[in-house]
Amino acid sequence: MQRALFYGVLTAAVALPLGYYVEAWMGWVLFYVGLSLHLAMHYRNFSRLERWTRKPVLDASLEGDGDWDRIFRRLYRHEKELLEKIELRERDIGRLIAAVHAMNDGIVLLDGNFYIQFCNKTAERQLGLDSARDRGASIANILRQPEFVAYLGEADFSRPLTLRLDRYFERVLSLYLILYAEDCWLLQVKDITQTDRLDSMRRDFVANVSHELRTPLTVLSGFVETLQEIDVDAESRKHYLQLMGQQSTRMLSIVQDLLTLSSIESAPPPQDEVVDMATLVDKLHRDAEALSAGRHTIHLETEGQGDLLGAESELISAFANLVANAVRYTPNGGTITLSWKVSPAGAEFAVQDTGIGIDAKHIPRLTERFYRVDRGRSRDAGGTGLGLAIVKHSLSRHQATLEVTSKPGEGSRFAAKFPPSRVSGV
Amino acid sequence: MNETLHVSSQFDEDLARLRTHVLQMGGVVETQISAAIEAYSSGEVASVKTIVETDRRINQLERSIDEDCAHIIAQRQPAASDLRLVLGISKIVTDLERTGDEAKKIAKSVRRIYEAGHQPTQYGIGIRHLAEAVLALVRRSLDAFARQDAAQAIEVIRADQDVDLEFKSIIRQLITHMMEDPRTITTSLEIMAISRAIERIGDHAKNICEQVIYVVEGRDIRHDKEAIK
Repeated sequence: MQRALFYGVLTAAVALPLGYYVEAWMGWVLFYVGLSLHLAMHYRNFSRLERWTRKPVLDASLEGDGDWDRIFRRLYRHEKELLEKIELRERDIGRLIAAVHAMNDGIVLLDGNFYIQFCNKTAERQLGLDSARDRGASIANILRQPEFVAYLGEADFSRPLTLRLDRYFERVLSLYLILYAEDCWLLQVKDITQTDRLDSMRRDFVANVSHELRTPLTVLSGFVETLQEIDVDAESRKHYLQLMGQQSTRMLSIVQDLLTLSSIESAPPPQDEVVDMATLVDKLHRDAEALSAGRHTIHLETEGQGDLLGAESELISAFANLVANAVRYTPNGGTITLSWKVSPAGAEFAVQDTGIGIDAKHIPRLTERFYRVDRGRSRDAGGTGLGLAIVKHSLSRHQATLEVTSKPGEGSRFAAKFPPSRVSGV
Repeated sequence: MNETLHVSSQFDEDLARLRTHVLQMGGVVETQISAAIEAYSSGEVASVKTIVETDRRINQLERSIDEDCAHIIAQRQPAASDLRLVLGISKIVTDLERTGDEAKKIAKSVRRIYEAGHQPTQYGIGIRHLAEAVLALVRRSLDAFARQDAAQAIEVIRADQDVDLEFKSIIRQLITHMMEDPRTITTSLEIMAISRAIERIGDHAKNICEQVIYVVEGRDIRHDKEAIK
């Protein structure tokens, strides 16, 4: 400010003596020219400032003359600080958004009328939203399922909504609506397909156990009642007792299998004791012969040398189950082949039969507890419905897998494959 | 000035509400289809009753939405794209209602099959696959309507041709079954009705998409094979 004033006074100080001593008009001209120059300088800076404000970017070349330079410098500094602040804030916001996208739960932000404001990647995947195109649309336009629309209408969000999606079969979601920032809604979506499946498996299991035990019990109690109330002759009595014996044996074997299963489940991981496979396979062969009682031809094939490392009792029960199944489900005159093969890639114990075979759609479910391809038949054959569940469990404790290949009418092959780390003496 | 602004935003709100109603009706129809498919695979005949009852609600929705359309046309006299939207909606609603009817038909056929003591799944294995594909078409057609997405609408129309091919192969398969074993004829005919209904649902999805294109672009591509190439 002072400098501008000083310049004005200076012009006047030069022009005044000139006008006074030489010619009046010369003084005026000088004064006028001086002021005009001064004005032109101001105008130039002013128009620079004006141009800059139209597009205020951080520009180091923004310089002024005299007092203007101070103003420009201050503006420059202010602008720079502002930009830094914005950058910092944007980085924070960017991180927050990235974190929301990285969440395992779906997040959808809605306004007071349930119009979509934002959704993260997980929600896009879970609900089939498209964050670019669905912004500003009502959530009910995309998530149209009547249960959800009714839930929105009820306006009672104290409890989450469990939704079985039409959109993607067999997905179960749990939806929470949470009020935030006074009148906005946050929709949190959890995928509970897995827990839902576990729940239903547990329910099925309890129902199955009860059913399996009730059937023989009903028979038993029926006979007990008959024997109590009616006088029967000795022969029928003997027959009844025999049937009752069968049923109680059956219940006993179910309970036995359940106990085996739970003891395998709760036992510590198997120790690395060496299991003599040559003896074991030979024993299995003899057992099979005994079980078959000459109804089948039973072969034994061995290839390579090596023993398994693991818990002998568990392995025996797994293999014996496979052998017993083969004998049970192969019609008279069929062939059963037991094989034990050791190679650098691991070891395999397999049982191949020429039995009735299994339809492909049953194979993935065979190891479920009490899963039965044909209810009546398997009970006639004396199965408890737990055999393969036990096999699968004992094998998986040895890092082994059970591979089932089968063709209806032609036979099945059950193979237990062990990794090299479970084989000794390779 | 203020007055007209107020009126037009009120009008926009009316249109938005109408659209939401259509989509909600669509949601009910989608659920009906998937419930019918579930009944087919699981044999839970009890759900058929629910499906039949819900169909009545769909009919009511059709009527009330159609009424709203008439109201809007009479009161607001919409022009250009707004008019197309209202006209399109009144056609889409008809297609949705028919779709609901087809779902009901499927459910009833399923009930007849199971009550006769048969298992449908062993005959028409491809049916579930076909039905899921068609359900996806319906869903995508409604998504296209919600997003006013003509490109997706065209995709759905093209995909409907695959459904028709698959339908024909199921029919051939059923005919073979019937020739091999005449005892399966009753069930096979029922399954044929089911697959026919599923195929019709695909056609309705296609119609909905044609309306979406009409609403968005103002082109009427019905019966125009060139337009979708």
